[in-house]
Amino acid sequence: MSLKIKKKVKEKAVILHIDGILDISTTHLLELYLKELDDNVETLVFDFTNLEFIDSTGIGSIMNAIYLSQEKHFKLKLQGINDLTNQFFEMVGLYQILEEIQGSEMDV
Amino acid sequence: MCKSVQTYTHQQLLEANPEMGKTLQREINLARNIQMQLLNGKTPKVEGGEIAGFSLPARLIGGDYYDFYPLKNGKIRMVIGDVMGKGIPAAMLMILTRGAFRSTAESTRGPAETLTSINQALYEDLRTLKSFVTLFCADWDPKTGAFTYANAGHHLPIYISGKDRTVKELPKVQGIMVGGLPKQVYKEASVHLVDQDTIFFYTDGIIEAQNKRGEQYKLERLIRTLIKHQDQNVHDIQKSVLESVNQFIEDVPQKDDITMVLLKVSQPKVDISSLNAPVIN
Repeated sequence: MSLKIKKKVKEKAVILHIDGILDISTTHLLELYLKELDDNVETLVFDFTNLEFIDSTGIGSIMNAIYLSQEKHFKLKLQGINDLTNQFFEMVGLYQILEEIQGSEMDV
Repeated sequence: MCKSVQTYTHQQLLEANPEMGKTLQREINLARNIQMQLLNGKTPKVEGGEIAGFSLPARLIGGDYYDFYPLKNGKIRMVIGDVMGKGIPAAMLMILTRGAFRSTAESTRGPAETLTSINQALYEDLRTLKSFVTLFCADWDPKTGAFTYANAGHHLPIYISGKDRTVKELPKVQGIMVGGLPKQVYKEASVHLVDQDTIFFYTDGIIEAQNKRGEQYKLERLIRTLIKHQDQNVHDIQKSVLESVNQFIEDVPQKDDITMVLLKVSQPKVDISSLNAPVIN
């Protein structure tokens, strides 16, 4: 059960490819990346193309990123979301929260 | 300087006091007892049906929650929920949620208002603690058969029609998980339940239970199990679901908290062959 995060930087955008399992045993890794985020980042992208599983703690990490985007004034985008994960995000209201907090546009 | 002194003192305490580990273990066991008694305690009796609930944490204690609250108007208010995370932190927030539900249940008009009230009460605390709770709340009126419900980010329950002996879709109601955004106004929907209709509420620990091959139990398997055992009483249906999950996961340790709530309508059949009925030849 593991998580691999690949970070790519493109000018003032940071793309985190979140591969594997994002759950109670691995979310601390994503939290580290959020902690180390530069103050001048304008866009943070979470790419879930290779995400195998996410639980409520994983949702909690995304929530932390949403609230961090409000605090540090960057845009958060979610992309590469498969049908099952999309259903989960819709069910808990994650997209509505993202939209409300920052009026984000999401690439699917 | 202060922080390193604090850490050093903490370490000293642990090294000098091996009893602390035993004390912690004892306290965790006590906490588990409290949660088990609160969660799996007395279930109210209802006219015109049966209700039951069951919760099994993945660790010693957990963040799943369910509750029943008989209302003065004869309805029964039911709730099922799932706090983010597992173990002691989730269990502490579960108790907070239980308190919010019970203190609000009698004064709110319906499930939607109940969720709005709970979110209002818990939002700031949940934000501070960077957590959230998914909740599904419903009122059942045994007199009219009305089943009214509202949703804050949780799975919709499974509705099995006693007449058609199949799964019927509950009208979809969606809402943001509690702790997600402030000042939420939740929506309600309603269905009319009749004799032998069953509603099965659940948390994702059931459908996400995994076997040795990493396969999940899944909703489809749960539905098949419920249809197969739909003629049983609520307690036996619960046992059958648990048995089915245990058979599937084999020896793999339980990954997430498992909770289920059942409502089964049983309206008494009218016997027309009474002594006063005219005999028609």
